[in-house]
Amino acid sequence: MEPARVVFTSGFAARYTKGVREFAVQAKTMRDVIGAMDAMFPGLGFHLEEETTLAINGEYHETGLFQPVPPGAEVFFIPRIEGG
Amino acid sequence: MNDTAIVTDSVKRFKWVGTRPIRPDGIPKVTGRAQYGADLKLPGMIYGKVLRSPHAHARILSIDTSAAEKLPGVKAVMTAADLPQQKFDYIGPERVAVNFWHVTRNIMAREKALYEGHAIAAVAAISNSIAEQACALIKVEYEVLPHVIDVDEAMAPDAPLLFEDMITRGVEPVPTKPSNISKRLAFAMGDVDAGFAASDLVIEHAFKTAAVHQAYIEPHACVAKFEADGQCEIWSSSQGHFQMRALTAQIMGKALGDLRVIPAEIGGGFGGKTVTYLEPLAATLSKKSGLPVRLTMSREEVFRASGPTSGSSMWVKVGVKNDGTIVAVDGIFKFQAGAFPGSPVMNGCLCAYAPYDIPNQRAVGWDVVSNRPKAAAYRAPGSPISAFAVESVLDMCAKKLGIDPLALRLKNACRIGTPTLAGPKHAHAGYIETLEALQKHPAYAVKLGPNQGRGVASGYWFNGGGESSATLQINADGTILIATGSPDIGGSRASMAIMTAETLGVDYNQVRAIVADTASVGYTHVTGGSRVTFATGTAVVNATKTAIKILCERAAMIWGVDPEGVIWDDGYAKPAGSNVGDFKPLSLKEIAGKAAATGGPITTSAGVNAGGQAPGFATQFCDVEVDPETGKVTILRFVAAQDVGRAIHPSYVEGQIHGGIVQGIGWALSEEYIYNAKGLLDNAGFLDYRCPVSSDLPMLDAVLVEVPNPTHPYGAKGVGEVCICPPMAAIANAIENATGKRLVDLPMSPPKVLAALSA
Repeated sequence: MEPARVVFTSGFAARYTKGVREFAVQAKTMRDVIGAMDAMFPGLGFHLEEETTLAINGEYHETGLFQPVPPGAEVFFIPRIEGG
Repeated sequence: MNDTAIVTDSVKRFKWVGTRPIRPDGIPKVTGRAQYGADLKLPGMIYGKVLRSPHAHARILSIDTSAAEKLPGVKAVMTAADLPQQKFDYIGPERVAVNFWHVTRNIMAREKALYEGHAIAAVAAISNSIAEQACALIKVEYEVLPHVIDVDEAMAPDAPLLFEDMITRGVEPVPTKPSNISKRLAFAMGDVDAGFAASDLVIEHAFKTAAVHQAYIEPHACVAKFEADGQCEIWSSSQGHFQMRALTAQIMGKALGDLRVIPAEIGGGFGGKTVTYLEPLAATLSKKSGLPVRLTMSREEVFRASGPTSGSSMWVKVGVKNDGTIVAVDGIFKFQAGAFPGSPVMNGCLCAYAPYDIPNQRAVGWDVVSNRPKAAAYRAPGSPISAFAVESVLDMCAKKLGIDPLALRLKNACRIGTPTLAGPKHAHAGYIETLEALQKHPAYAVKLGPNQGRGVASGYWFNGGGESSATLQINADGTILIATGSPDIGGSRASMAIMTAETLGVDYNQVRAIVADTASVGYTHVTGGSRVTFATGTAVVNATKTAIKILCERAAMIWGVDPEGVIWDDGYAKPAGSNVGDFKPLSLKEIAGKAAATGGPITTSAGVNAGGQAPGFATQFCDVEVDPETGKVTILRFVAAQDVGRAIHPSYVEGQIHGGIVQGIGWALSEEYIYNAKGLLDNAGFLDYRCPVSSDLPMLDAVLVEVPNPTHPYGAKGVGEVCICPPMAAIANAIENATGKRLVDLPMSPPKVLAALSA
């Protein structure tokens, strides 16, 4: 199965992934994506769930565990809007 | 209104979706029977009043409430000391992070009063007049501090500081000195400098926009009843009673299960009623007094103490080829957050260039505090502000190149797969279709007269999804109740009933849609972000589909066949094939009448976290006439094309577009906060804060472009916000077309226009 391409913004990458913005992850669901990233960077899963919103192949979603991830999908995490 | 519709995918094929039944909330509203936030009266209810700061910026040295507490008729007095401390942290649901250290200080000041109107203390008494007297008896000792209102002045190194320890986030290296700049955001793609170097024409300009209020007709209002067992009920007019529950629980240190919030009818919100001002105060006063407390804002309080959207100072630069290809864009967007961090500057950055396919983009945003009320959401928060700057510069490019402004935009329009500055690629179409709709519109070819001009602009908004719930009940007579947690602001009761009727294949008039309280339906996020028809609509359709499955099972039981042998078709249970048996189709009413015999009441619920919402694209043009003697701008014509996905109830969709245009006209021409030298607001009322009225407006032409969203059961896209993004630039561009003068400072009021004409 073609891995998902996981992408972070440069600011998020600088904070949590040593500046690396892109990763290839085997995933069928967002649970797999978040689990794999948390295994690489312990604690990152919490930050992904709490601080980001998500686009899977350009489709926006709240960051969750349940969303399916198509083969070869681009999974892009962007920051949450700050509301006050 | 001269509205039209363009359907791009197919001939409409629905029975109810796309029709215009009479609105279910119409009769209570026109007869004055609808219950708004201030209408509820409970036995023993007393009246709250908030004491507010008379200063723009002051340290609070002491608050003495003893005299107020002794006044006969006073039942409770509170200050910030009655609310628990909050951790300094950005947390929150959905795509919005909230810092409750700030929120609790906005609800009631602690160390400092940060703007005129900032709540200092509150009183509850047996009458409004006694509550007012008691407020006057509260002694507050202030140390008045220098203030700052304007965003550029607030960013100056010597500006008075609102927070002496605020270090700008997002700057490397981390600043060593505090400032009023809460945050810096930077987004980039491609090589912007190389893009400008490769351009044939580069145009840049600075812009300013005024803070404008959402100007909802109904001021904030609520009633709270706190019982001795710790349970609390709140009746509140808001864009989200679950949001009010969550915010009030956090501010008071309560469990969600101890609070029940009942939605009142709402008289407009536009984003401004997604935040709380009164509910925690009313609940605290009720807790202290043991009596139900009503708390309402006056119109003056609404202006002085509730959120407008940000004012801004911006700079935008665009590089284009001679053939109109945009090569590079750059922008600096400085947004007023008000007294606490959290302007919509990130949205402003990410929406600014989103309609376009531009290889090299950069946007830098600054979130800046100043001594004004905390900014709150306002229709597509942030996007209209940056669109004013970007769409103005695009118009300057089109004029310089001699290219029609719609053609310039069409040449650079985004498509599915176009990269965005936010990072993800566009997943939905719709922008090009709005441009083409206006190109074909007959009014675009109408010749204009002296002092008249035409302006074009576009806009983009993300639109929202997220968590919503619905509960469906089938009554014994075959009528249906659909309950959701979405306050009805833009016609959601009608659209939910339409989608239920369409899915079931029954008459629309059999369905009653209601807005249920927090104890009666599952969690539902706010009516905001243009999310309800998409997300709550998905929950409604899911609950209805589950009901259909149960109806088929009940029919199977009546017939004595396997449930798989029954299908649902156009409101009837029918045998799936001749092998199942020769049964007369059973209507929903017939099955409902046998509910007791077949297993009991038929009721279903659905909860969703809806994703895959499609963004909104809008393109508008307007014709104006400028009076050269007075500078008054008259709007002659306004045509708005918007991709609406699928209009579930077209009248409501057109109404959203009309409303967005009108609010945009006010933002463009007349609305602003006027502060005096002391930092006090001089125009806190509708006489002096000038919103457009009917006599200011021409007929508005909403063109519904329907490019359905495949991720919604009926193709719906959010429609309530993107319509406010283009008007300010469209009007500025029209004024330039009429006069040759480029206005870059909102509002473009007669004195400013006259000054430009005289320059």
